[in-house]
Amino acid sequence: MAAAEFDIPEIKDYIEVPKLREGAMAHAKTFLAPKPVQDFMGYPHELADDWKESALEKMGDLLGKYRSLKVFLDACVHCGACTDKCHYYLGTSDPKNMPVARQDLMRQVYRRYFTTAGKLFPKLVGAKDLTKDVLNDWYNYYHQCSECRRCSVFCPYGIDTAEITMAGREILNHIGMGQKYSNEILGKVQKIGNNLGLPGPALLDTLEGLEEDIEADTGVAVKLPIDVKGAEVLLVTPSADFFSEPHVESLIGYAKVFHAAGTSWTLSTHASEAGNFGLFNGNYETMRKVAMRIRDAALELGVKRIVVGECGHAWRVAYSFWNTLTGIGYGADDPFSIELQKQLDPNYPQPQHICELTNDLIKSGKIKVDPSKNDDLIVTYHDSCNVARASRMGTEPGGQFIIPRELIKSVVNNFHNMADDTIYESTFCCGGGGGLLTDDLMEVRVKGALPRATALNNVVKEHQVNFMATICAICKAQFTKVLPKYGFDMSMVGGVHQLVAKAIILD
Amino acid sequence: MSTLTIIYAGLFYIATLLLVVGLAYKIFDYSRTPAPLKIPTTPAPVTQTGVVYRMAKEVVLFESLFKSSKWTWIFGWLFHFGLLLVLARHLRYFTEPVWFWVNIVQPFGKYASIMMVVGLAGLLARRFLVDRVRYISTPSDYLMLVLLIVIGSSGMLMTFVAHTDIVALKTFFMGLMYFDVQPVPQDPILLIHLALVALLMLIFPISKLLHAPGLFFSPTRNQVDNPREHRHVAAWAARLDQKN
Amino acid sequence: MPMVNIAGKDYEAVEEKVELTEGHWEVVNFLREYYAEYQIAPAVRVLTKAIGKKLGPDKGNNKYLYELFPYGPAKQACKIAGLPKPTGCI
Repeated sequence: MAAAEFDIPEIKDYIEVPKLREGAMAHAKTFLAPKPVQDFMGYPHELADDWKESALEKMGDLLGKYRSLKVFLDACVHCGACTDKCHYYLGTSDPKNMPVARQDLMRQVYRRYFTTAGKLFPKLVGAKDLTKDVLNDWYNYYHQCSECRRCSVFCPYGIDTAEITMAGREILNHIGMGQKYSNEILGKVQKIGNNLGLPGPALLDTLEGLEEDIEADTGVAVKLPIDVKGAEVLLVTPSADFFSEPHVESLIGYAKVFHAAGTSWTLSTHASEAGNFGLFNGNYETMRKVAMRIRDAALELGVKRIVVGECGHAWRVAYSFWNTLTGIGYGADDPFSIELQKQLDPNYPQPQHICELTNDLIKSGKIKVDPSKNDDLIVTYHDSCNVARASRMGTEPGGQFIIPRELIKSVVNNFHNMADDTIYESTFCCGGGGGLLTDDLMEVRVKGALPRATALNNVVKEHQVNFMATICAICKAQFTKVLPKYGFDMSMVGGVHQLVAKAIILD
Repeated sequence: MSTLTIIYAGLFYIATLLLVVGLAYKIFDYSRTPAPLKIPTTPAPVTQTGVVYRMAKEVVLFESLFKSSKWTWIFGWLFHFGLLLVLARHLRYFTEPVWFWVNIVQPFGKYASIMMVVGLAGLLARRFLVDRVRYISTPSDYLMLVLLIVIGSSGMLMTFVAHTDIVALKTFFMGLMYFDVQPVPQDPILLIHLALVALLMLIFPISKLLHAPGLFFSPTRNQVDNPREHRHVAAWAARLDQKN
Repeated sequence: MPMVNIAGKDYEAVEEKVELTEGHWEVVNFLREYYAEYQIAPAVRVLTKAIGKKLGPDKGNNKYLYELFPYGPAKQACKIAGLPKPTGCI
């Protein structure tokens, strides 16, 4: 089956709010997960006769477990503040990609079966029966949301469509409509240890190859240790860092930082993945199982610190959820958490972001850098959605914006921000997050990247920017694939530690 | 006692009961439903005091709405603060002696009704004029605004044009409060005004008006950003730890 | 296989144009050997380096590989070699 061809949107001078085109993206349907994939996850692979009852039962279960879902489904007043905030709406003009309309796909069903008004007067309050058509809308449009939370910044009640999308996907999985891409990856990370499915021997071979490359390039024997017991730091990074361009360049950057700082560190074959697609599926237990691999590896290797590499949603899970899910963090007095706290060094935040670590080392003079090594570059920075709106770095609110920029500015001489309404908490998703980074959603991805491409284009024109740094594996993969369709060179995207790698001074 | 008085007295007793019980139930329901994960929209305050400040800005200034849509913000703010002043002014029908601050806001409350109705009219116009808002509007979204506009305009009519007997009205409400039912004044505009207010009270706990209590329970706004420093675990999730 | 339109040309049609020469087979065979050993396709960086070691530094670069497989060694060569395409954040 060949995917339908589509027009690449034209980049305008500013981000335009399009007129509605109903059904514009109704055809975009990501592949369903086949039987073996669903079997492993413990989900059915096709609809049973009682799919409707089963879906409603799951919905009731989630409404009882998640305050966010219950409050968000009740509180919306249809004010429309979010309608022009989603990059997928801006790029596709499909009204069901407006955050409120995406929520309403579930809200209409919630009202029909769970509220008095919807039971008595369905037409009046826009309540609808759960039908196959509604279900198909759920599948299509809950896979056109990258769970980036931009809408939640602008909602007067903080309604976060990501929470609704996650619940929608959880219900869909529960009745046999899982997404192939995400669920296949969740299988690989649990069976092999990383999203990519890179087995231990392949990983070792890759790391050896990289050590050779770095030494050939710099003359310094920088190591990429793995499974070293007693190392101080366990580095957990997205597996794309072992495999893809430009991701690998950042991995080289981390290795050089540890080498220059003289910090002993290790990777882990068991926890060779920072990413956690359990977040995208909205399943607490899956997310917990995947995160638990990191706790297990930390205990096994006896490390004192856990540091996370450049990956946006991984940092959300690590920063916001690891303490909850696995006890990696502080402040708990339950036996489960105490076990780990005895081992971790309280002088450092746990977990720590690699940008926090490197920025501290540079500021305290423990590693030296020469920013002129990057003088061929005029750099801008893309705030990744999960880092920007669902996490923090450092001790102050907003550290997640300041620290990566401080770090970049210490290793490059030319830096320009993109427009204010496209960065910081208002940043636009790359268009490939939340489980959408798959070829079968290429149209959604390309169109969803339009707002970011527009903002980038403006700094390219105004400041001759030729490099966009970011700290997310998905952003890197998405942009290198999608930006060329807007006429940008794929090599203008890379990691922050790619810049660090060039500027760092090794002995 | 006239049938009309019995109907209106009954209506207000039922409406008050359902409003209070309905809202109390909803608030109880929200508070017992756990928020298993830390999901504040960041940057978020790192202390509880900071959260109070953030919530206060949301409640008083509609800060997030201000960021997203200036028109909706202006109309929404006019309506809500007009309504607040108008409600404050109405306290004089329920207190004896009238609280001193109610007397102070009294003259402002009178004109706040204009703010309120202008705001509502703007919000209604948006529903017709902006294609995106039109697409998401359900019949109840229009009707809710119309209901509030009719309540507001009938009130304004009695304030500025055809004065109603407010002494009799106060006697009626004080009577209701002390379970000593007094006759309801037989002014058609007032009767419409009162009936619609009772209707609004009835639908409050089963409609989108729940955004009022909902805001205070919104995890993206009311959580402290301190997940690395404090472990946050819901009861149902903590049970998973025991299996390990 | 779902394929998007690449650079204005249809992917399937291009693929048919590839006549497998000795140079192509060297790459395809390496891919298959690597897969047999590691159960995954090699990273592009690993592929270029291995080809360079085996066939000389003039062939161990992206330019040579892209000349052989104009639509990307990772995508096109792996497909011809019959290797499943790795998925993840890549």
